[in-house]
Amino acid sequence: MFALARTITVLSSVFQVAFSGVYANMRMVHVLTSVVGTKCELKVKNGVIYEGVFKTYGPECDLVLDAAHRKSPEPSMGPRREDIVDSIIFKSSDVVVVHFKDVDLSYAKRDNFTDTAVSSRINGEHKEKDLEPWDGGDQHVSGSLESLDNDLSNGWDPDDMFKYNEETYGVKSTYDSSLSSYTVPLERDNSEEFLKREARAAQLAEEIEASAAYKARVALENDERSEEEKYTAVVRDSHTLNRENKYIPPGQRNREAGMSWGTGRQNSPRLVQCSPGPPTPRAGPHDYNTLSGVDQRVVNGGAHPWPSRCPSPSSRPPSRYQSGPTSLPPRASTPTRPPSRPPSRPLRPPSHPSAHGSTAPHSTVPKRLSSEGPPRMSPKSQRTPRGHRVASCRGGGPPGTDFMSQGASAEVSAPPPARSSPSGGTWSSVVSGALAPKSHRPRSPRQNSVGGAPPGPSSLSSPQAGTVPVDSMTTPASATSPTTASPAPNLAATPLAEAKESRIQETRQNSPSANKENVKPMESSSGISRPASKGVLLNYLLQSSSNPDPVFETTVTKSAREPGDKPKEQPIEKSTTDSTGPKVCSESSGSDEVSATPAGSKPSTPSPSPSSSALAAVSEQKRGPDVTSQGVQTSSPAVSASAKSDKEDKEEKKDPVPESVRKSTLNPNAKEFNPRAFCTPPKPATTPTLPRPQGQPSPSIVVQQSPAVYGQAMCFPQMYPLASVSPGVQVMYHVPVPHMTVSQSKPYRPGKVPNMPQQRPDQHHPPGTSTMMHPATAAGPPIVAPSPAYSTQYFTCSPQQFTSQPLVQQMTHYQSQAQHVFSPVMQGSARMITPHTHGQPSLVSSSTTQYGEQTHTMYGKDPNLNPNPFSAPIPQQYPHPSATLHPHPQHPQPSATPTGQAQQGTQHGGSHPAPSPVQHPQHQAAAAAAAAQALHLGNPPQQQMYSALAPTPPSMTPGPNPQSPQATFPSAQQALYIHPSQVQHGYSPNPMAHVQQAHMQSGMVPTHHGTPSHPPVMLMATQPPAGPQPPMAQGTLNPIPVSSTTHFSYMAHPPVQPHHQQQL
Amino acid sequence: MAAPVPGEYFSVGSSVSCLTCLGQRLQGEVVAFDYQTKMLTLKCASSSGKPNLNDVILVNLAYVSDVEILTDRTETPPPLASLNVSKLANRARTEKEDKLSQAYAISAGVSVEGQQLFQTIHKTIKDCKWQEKNIIVMDDVVISPPYQVENCKGKEGSALSHIRKIVEKHFRDVETQKSMQRSQAQQTQKDSSLSS
Repeated sequence: MFALARTITVLSSVFQVAFSGVYANMRMVHVLTSVVGTKCELKVKNGVIYEGVFKTYGPECDLVLDAAHRKSPEPSMGPRREDIVDSIIFKSSDVVVVHFKDVDLSYAKRDNFTDTAVSSRINGEHKEKDLEPWDGGDQHVSGSLESLDNDLSNGWDPDDMFKYNEETYGVKSTYDSSLSSYTVPLERDNSEEFLKREARAAQLAEEIEASAAYKARVALENDERSEEEKYTAVVRDSHTLNRENKYIPPGQRNREAGMSWGTGRQNSPRLVQCSPGPPTPRAGPHDYNTLSGVDQRVVNGGAHPWPSRCPSPSSRPPSRYQSGPTSLPPRASTPTRPPSRPPSRPLRPPSHPSAHGSTAPHSTVPKRLSSEGPPRMSPKSQRTPRGHRVASCRGGGPPGTDFMSQGASAEVSAPPPARSSPSGGTWSSVVSGALAPKSHRPRSPRQNSVGGAPPGPSSLSSPQAGTVPVDSMTTPASATSPTTASPAPNLAATPLAEAKESRIQETRQNSPSANKENVKPMESSSGISRPASKGVLLNYLLQSSSNPDPVFETTVTKSAREPGDKPKEQPIEKSTTDSTGPKVCSESSGSDEVSATPAGSKPSTPSPSPSSSALAAVSEQKRGPDVTSQGVQTSSPAVSASAKSDKEDKEEKKDPVPESVRKSTLNPNAKEFNPRAFCTPPKPATTPTLPRPQGQPSPSIVVQQSPAVYGQAMCFPQMYPLASVSPGVQVMYHVPVPHMTVSQSKPYRPGKVPNMPQQRPDQHHPPGTSTMMHPATAAGPPIVAPSPAYSTQYFTCSPQQFTSQPLVQQMTHYQSQAQHVFSPVMQGSARMITPHTHGQPSLVSSSTTQYGEQTHTMYGKDPNLNPNPFSAPIPQQYPHPSATLHPHPQHPQPSATPTGQAQQGTQHGGSHPAPSPVQHPQHQAAAAAAAAQALHLGNPPQQQMYSALAPTPPSMTPGPNPQSPQATFPSAQQALYIHPSQVQHGYSPNPMAHVQQAHMQSGMVPTHHGTPSHPPVMLMATQPPAGPQPPMAQGTLNPIPVSSTTHFSYMAHPPVQPHHQQQL
Repeated sequence: MAAPVPGEYFSVGSSVSCLTCLGQRLQGEVVAFDYQTKMLTLKCASSSGKPNLNDVILVNLAYVSDVEILTDRTETPPPLASLNVSKLANRARTEKEDKLSQAYAISAGVSVEGQQLFQTIHKTIKDCKWQEKNIIVMDDVVISPPYQVENCKGKEGSALSHIRKIVEKHFRDVETQKSMQRSQAQQTQKDSSLSS
């Protein structure tokens, strides 16, 4: 800069020197130069006039005249040759006046051949011609001109032309009108043969002219529509029913939000899915839910955050991956987590920044990373902080204010995140929507508009926590669902993930700093997470029935309270988990709720979302960074699940949710969330599933997702938000790892209630595995390897996990690379595992195993899709619920957990959406039905995003685990592809489309599966795996690493990579 | 920039009136003003009445009094168009050559009619020059005094016929101008007589 300035100064000085005097006066220079070459009369002081051709001028305005002569007073003759001086220089001081006559000032600036130049010359001198009236004369009667137009004669008659040419030029034409030289005349006769041919010809002509192609081509020529109408006009039909699948302008969202987010728009479908989803999702989502449940269990048992995080997204995906390519899940999970986390973090940071400063999230992340594992840690820490914040917000009346502040911050932050990353934006929008709906429906739009999904969610959450938890929950959910659809998930996901991470870290470390970090992240994320958590809580309560509710409530309250009490969180694991769970839930729920609310019935949606969110929250907590992504994913799944699940369920859940929310508000601590998450798992399948799926999925998912996330991480977040509801989730998942979604949905179904707990453990394990994977991946190509894993994991994990995890994982991966991710995951997984073991080891293990199988199947699918070797394994796995073990065998421990998750994911696949986990357990049949519907819907995906999303997930769940996963994978991949584009394109619309597509695909898969029966199988499978898992859970750290490593092997980087590539 | 912006003293586009030390009243639109040299450039309507041409006056304010700004324009002056310097240089050279050529002819004692004809032909055909008192056009046609159509000699062809047409038209136009001047003079005389 300075150099430049100096240079400029020097130049300017030079120019001043060069252009001193008159030369510095541009206008003087211009005018004097314009008159160069013209004759002029120059008067000097003594009155003498010199005439000459103006030659040039000097800097002191000295004038030079060529061929100048002293003009004689006598006008007579011109100068004589001898009178002319070749050149005279006049000093300006001697010049009085110089008169240039008849100067064309535009002479030198004319370009001779432009229209302007030509016209300017003519314009000067030419006068307009006088117009004269035309007199056609007597021959031309009025109307005679028209007669010309009416002249039917088409110019010259050919004969006239020939005649004229012959007469004038002597040319004789050989023209033959029969064209006998070119064709043969048609001999018409009345023979039967001719008539037949003629009829045939007529028929053919009719067919051709009746064909759509012909009409279309003709229409092209005859299309009178304008270019605008044909290509650029935005046509929106205001059919409410169709809104589900369509993008709803923010302006219209509020209306819907008021009614039901899900129904109103995408949300409505999502919500619907979510509502039903909770049951079905849990069932189908079961995968997720189960995973989440496992996670929750894990959380309960030990580190809720991790379980929750890892379980929901990571666990499922991992499980699938693990199961199929056992290594894959872990790897995927770890890789995904890092990537997802990193993305999520970025997102979060943006959101946080606004609220707490954009850097805040990042800072938190780094801290966490440093403390635990760079990526994971940071995510977790972030998440936890957010969770704390959320918790604090939820904490209560005070929280209310806090929430407000958080919400505000979240809102503020939200926009930044959105800005930072498209996905983030979507997320933010979704989140904001969720938040807005919760706290104030109006907000949701604003938040969405703001683009700070995280803020939105946070705000929402805060409002909920602060003012009326229950009401806010319901309303928020509804509100959120619409808005959230895209934004909420993002916000929730990122915030949640961060919150979870932060929470996890905090819980683990119990350090005030962690709390602080958590708080900051929490604010933005927590705001979201809180709503989500609330929603989760509600979901848990509803889903889990009574049990979850208390847990959630406790968790919520704890979380709210605990923001500062992270240390306590661990001891209070339950409470902390709860809080984390709530946080996570809140985050995930933010998205979930958003989606759920959209579903239509606020209550139903909230409940589903809560469940999903809870799962997500758990996963998020576990995952930390992953959590965010997971949270999003989970939320989306939850939403979808909830949407899928009956609205009634949602309503019921809502009631619990409010309570839980309130409670959650009481417990601001992230740790509390974790405990809660764990607790939740113990509760009904729903709660457990949710937490577990979240926790486990998040880790595994995170890793797996991260790959996807990397490739499509950004997209995912957006996708998630969009898909926040079931569709959104699915979409999101699909985008990252379509397979994952499918698989997840399937897992959920199989897992259902039983699975839920197991799944949670599985999820936890998967996280661990994922973490393990991550290390392995880190060693080699973290991202790539992870990405596959992620994808797989995602699939297994289902939407929620994927969403949240991908973000988180990606974040971690990107930031801290796979290793970092792994480390976080590891920690998270460890925590998860411990919780699981404590809470529901057996279940978890079983679920994990199941998941693992599913995941394997998923992997197999993925391989198939991606020409992976695993494909074969996967089929086997599918056939054998215990197959998970098989895959696992390859990757013993890791596989189990991962596979379990994966299986869940696969099972849930259909129900991908967050709801799947929670819903699946409770409503497997419903989920299946929903899935079937979803499939149907999915087939007409575009019909309604929500429906489509919800259906697809259910379908996924119902669909046979193996097949469905496979199908889902393909679909998921496709969806992923779509998603990326969609994500980039726009939040709701694109997501919707993606979701739809994803659903289509997923739906296809589910249809294949067709049956909920798989869930039982899954359960069986899960149980067997349980054995392996428990160990895993107990030795979470060891198992996780192993699993992760194994996963890697399983993952068979090749397959994973292929997936990633495809996805990417 | 040491040189103040013209607008500070005379805003470009404003109409200014001033009286030179030689008693000449000048009025025009400010085109440019240089503070250091006190040179003011005005643009006026063409003295010959041609619509697309202008008279440009460069005034040294050091020898001017009674400067009066008739109207002040606040609008931003139009941007300056780039100038084709080579074109201007060619014009300067051509003008100089023409003047010298004309001076040569004058010095040679060519009649005014001859000079006028030469100018007329020169407008159409650049390739013409004086050879003593004869006008040489395209090295083919020689027009010798008194420069009438009959005096156009050369190789029969389109060139000669073309030159003859030009010469013919030239004198016809001259006659027309004279007649018009006469008629105008007569009218003025009539008017004056009537008025008197």
